[in-house]
Amino acid sequence: MTQRPWLPHYADDVAPDLGEVTFSHLPDLVRASSSEYASTIAFTQCMPNGMNGSLTYAQVDALSDDFAAYLREVVGLAQGDRVAVQMPNCLAYPIVAFGVFKAGLVLVNTNPLYTPTEMVHQFTDSGAKALVVIDMFADRLPEVLPKTGIETVVTVRIAEFFPPVIAGVIRMVQKYWNRTLPKVTVAHTTFQSALPAGREKKTSDALTGYLTGIGHDTVAALQYTGGTTGVSKGAMLSHGNLVSNTLQMIQMCGGYMRPGLETVLTALPLYHIFAFTVNLLGFYKLGARNILIPSPRPPSNLKRAFENYKITWVTGVNTLFNALLNERWFLDSPPRHLRASAAGGMALHEAVNVRWEEVTGTPIVEGYGLTETSPVLSFNPFGPNEKPGTIGIPVPSTELKCIDDAGNEVAPGTPGEIAAKGPQVMLGYWNRPDETAANIVDGWFRTGDIAEMDADGFFTIVDRKKDMILVSGFNVYPNEVEDRIAALPGVLEVGVVGIPDDKSGEAVRAYIVTSSDALTENTVIAHCRETLAAYKVPKSVRFVDELPKSPIGKILRRELRAEAVTSATASIETQGRELS
Amino acid sequence: MITPLIIATQTVVNEQDVVTPFEQALLVGLVFVIMFGLGAGLTPRDFKLALKRPYGLIIGFVTQFGIMPVLAYLLIITFLFQLEPEYALPVAIGALLMGAVPAGTTSNIFTYFSKGNLALSVIMTTNSTLWAILMTPLALAIFGSLLFTQESEFQIPVVNIVVTLATLLIPVVAGMILRRYSANIGAFMELLGGFFGLFFIVFLMATWVPRNWALLTSTPWQTYMVAIGLGLFGIFIAYFLARAIRLHPANARTIGLETGIQNGPLAIAIVLLTFANDPNIGLILIVPALYSLFIVIVSTFVTIWFRRANTAEEQKIPNLL
Repeated sequence: MTQRPWLPHYADDVAPDLGEVTFSHLPDLVRASSSEYASTIAFTQCMPNGMNGSLTYAQVDALSDDFAAYLREVVGLAQGDRVAVQMPNCLAYPIVAFGVFKAGLVLVNTNPLYTPTEMVHQFTDSGAKALVVIDMFADRLPEVLPKTGIETVVTVRIAEFFPPVIAGVIRMVQKYWNRTLPKVTVAHTTFQSALPAGREKKTSDALTGYLTGIGHDTVAALQYTGGTTGVSKGAMLSHGNLVSNTLQMIQMCGGYMRPGLETVLTALPLYHIFAFTVNLLGFYKLGARNILIPSPRPPSNLKRAFENYKITWVTGVNTLFNALLNERWFLDSPPRHLRASAAGGMALHEAVNVRWEEVTGTPIVEGYGLTETSPVLSFNPFGPNEKPGTIGIPVPSTELKCIDDAGNEVAPGTPGEIAAKGPQVMLGYWNRPDETAANIVDGWFRTGDIAEMDADGFFTIVDRKKDMILVSGFNVYPNEVEDRIAALPGVLEVGVVGIPDDKSGEAVRAYIVTSSDALTENTVIAHCRETLAAYKVPKSVRFVDELPKSPIGKILRRELRAEAVTSATASIETQGRELS
Repeated sequence: MITPLIIATQTVVNEQDVVTPFEQALLVGLVFVIMFGLGAGLTPRDFKLALKRPYGLIIGFVTQFGIMPVLAYLLIITFLFQLEPEYALPVAIGALLMGAVPAGTTSNIFTYFSKGNLALSVIMTTNSTLWAILMTPLALAIFGSLLFTQESEFQIPVVNIVVTLATLLIPVVAGMILRRYSANIGAFMELLGGFFGLFFIVFLMATWVPRNWALLTSTPWQTYMVAIGLGLFGIFIAYFLARAIRLHPANARTIGLETGIQNGPLAIAIVLLTFANDPNIGLILIVPALYSLFIVIVSTFVTIWFRRANTAEEQKIPNLL
C-alpha cells in the first residue's frame, strides 16, 4: 500500500472509499434510475436553432429494452458480440448504448468523423458484427463494409423522437438546404422499424436471460484510444469499471450533484469516454436532465440551449470553456442557474479557470483521467480544499503515485509518471496482451503522464511524457508555456511544440490563434521572458487561423509538430501574420 | 430632361393599378409572418444586449440609420428632383421611407452565402429592428423637413408611421412569447419567416410585375437609379467604411450587406397601412417595390463578388439548424 496523503482533503461530505457496489452491471444501474425517475425528462436534444425533442426515463428504459430484443432476437447476435455505434449526440444514442448493454453485447463507440480507413481498422480490430450509424455519414459504408465483418446496419436520423413536424422540417433542411443527407445504398434497417420489431419479440424472461453470467468483470465497451499517438487500440472497459467510475465521480462531487435536480449541458460527444461516463452514465444515475448538443461548433450553437434550459452543470474541455468566454452573448448573460462545471480531456488553462469563475460566479474543477481508466482518476475537491491548477486528489477507492523509469515511487515534489490503481482501471487492451502487459504492471496502470504530487497528495500534471520538449538537455513542458501565453489578452488559443533545431536539438515554438492585431511575435516572447526561464521561452511564434484539434477539442500537438517539420523542410515559412 | 417629364405626367396612377386589395392583405399578412419569425428568434436577453452594448454595434447603427437615410436623401435631390414635383414628391416619400427602415432578414441569408459573420448579421438585424421604432420616425422627420417644405401638400405623417411601426411590433412580441412557450414552434416560425422573406419577392415578381409592366416601362430612369442605387451604394459605402477602420473582411462584408439590404416588405407594409387612403399611394409604393425587386439581384451579384474576392476565408459549418 502506497501512502495516501490526500485522505484528509476530501470535502466534508465525501467518503474516501466507495464501499460495496450494489449494481451488478450497467443495465442494473440504468433500470434502477429509470424506475426511480420514470416520468422525469432524461434527455433533451437541442439543435442550434432551438428545435428540440425529449425522452423521459421510462421511455429510455422501454425503448432500450426494445432495441436489446431487436439485437438479440431479430439480428440474432449472441452474448459478447460487438456492436459499433457511430453517431453524434442525439436522442437515439442513449437508447442504442443502453440497448447494447441490456442485450449483453459489447459497445464499440466510433467517432462519426472517422475516415473510411480508420473505420475499417476499428471495425475489424473489434470484430464488430453490427453497426448503428447516423444516416448523414452512411455514404462511406459501401467502401467500408466489404472490408469488415459487419452484417447488419441500422440507420438513425438526427431528429429521432422529435415532434413529427419538427423532425420533417429538420430533414428537409438537411436534405435540400445543407445537402448533408446522402442516399444510403447498402442494405440497412431504419431505427424506427428496428424498435417495433424488437418490441414484438420482447419478453421479460428473455431480457433477464441476455444478462446471465454478466458481472463486474465482463467487458461492456471497447473504447478505442491512442489515435493521437499511433495505432488505435481498444481499451476493454468492464461493467464493473464503468459502474464504479460513475459512482466514484458522483461521490466525489458530494452536495454539488443533487439527485433528481440537475440539468447538465452535454456538448462533448458521448462517444468520447469523458462525456460517456460523466454525462451519460453519471447524470442518468442522478436522475438529471441531459441537454444533448449534436454539434458544439461554432460555440453559438450552444446559445439556444443556454437560453431555453436552466442548466446547472456544464462539462467540457478547456477549448469549449475558452470558446464560450469569447462569445459576447455568453458574457452578457452567463447561465444563472449554473452550480458547477467540470473540465477534463486536457489541461485547463489557469486563465480560463479564473475567467470562468469570474464570469459565471461558480466553481470549475479540473479532473484527470484516461480512456483506459473509464476515465476519471482524480479531481479537485469542491470547496475550501480545492487547489486550482492541480488535477486534485484521487477519486474514492483510487490510488495514484508518481514513479520513475524504473517503476519506483518518487518523493513528493519530484516529477514522475503517474501510475493508477482502482476499480476503474480497464481489463486490458483488446487482443493485445503485449500492450496490456507493458502498461499494467503489478495491477498499476502507467498513464504516460508526468506529474508531481505535493505533500497534501494533490497532483499537478507537468505534461504528457511524449510532448516534452528537450531544449539543450533541459525539459520544457508545453503546458507551462501555453499557460503563460494564454494569459495574454487577445490570445484565443495556443499550442506549444518542439521543432528540430540545429543548435539546441529542439526549439520551442508557439502557435497562436488571436483576435487582436496588436499581438506580435515580440510581445509574446517579451511576455514569456518575464515569467519563464530563458530556455522555455518560445524561439518562434506563428499566428494561425486555427489549431488542429481532436473531436472533443483537444489541441493536437502531434499535428502541429508534423506541420512545423514539413514547413521547415520545404522552407516555407509564413511571413509573420497575414492581415486579412 | 423633357422626355421623362412627359412620361411622368402620363403615368399618374391610382391605387388599383399598383396593388389589389387581395395583394394588399397578402403582403401585410406576409410581413406579419416575417416579423413574427423575427420575434421568435428573440429573447429578453437580446434586448438587454442591445441596450447594454450599443457601442458594440455602433458601426451598424451609424450605417443603418446614418448612411442610408442620407444616401436616400442625396439620391432623391440628385435624381428624383429632376422630375416634376407632382410625380417626384410622392415617389420621394417612398424612397426616403426605404432609406429609413431597419435591416431586412434576407440580409442574413446573403451574409451566409457570402461567407460573412452570420452571428453579427442576426444581431445587427435584431438591433436595428428594435431601434427602428425610434430612429425610423426620427430620420423621416429630419430629412422629410428638408425635402418637403411647410407649404408643400406632401407631408410625411410621422405619427401614423410610429403607430404602424408599433403595430408591426405586435407580431414581434407575439413571436417572443410563443417562443418562450415552445422552442420548437419558435424555431419553426423563425425559419418560416426567413422563407417568407424570399417568398415575398417571388410573389412580387410573379404577380405585381406583369400587371404593372406598363408602369414599370414608363417609369423614368431616375426612379430606377434611386431604387437600385440605394441598395448598391449602401452596401459598398458601408463595406469600404468598415474596411477603412480595419474591421475583419468577414465583418465588413456582413456590415455592407446588412446596411444595404433594407426591410423592403416592412416599408411596403408601412405604405399600405399608413397611406391607405392617399390617392398617391401608387407613386409612394414605386421605390419600395422596385427596391425590393432589385435588391435581390444586386445582393446576388455582390455576394458573387464577395465570394470571389474572399475565397481564402472559409466559414465552415452551415448553421441554419
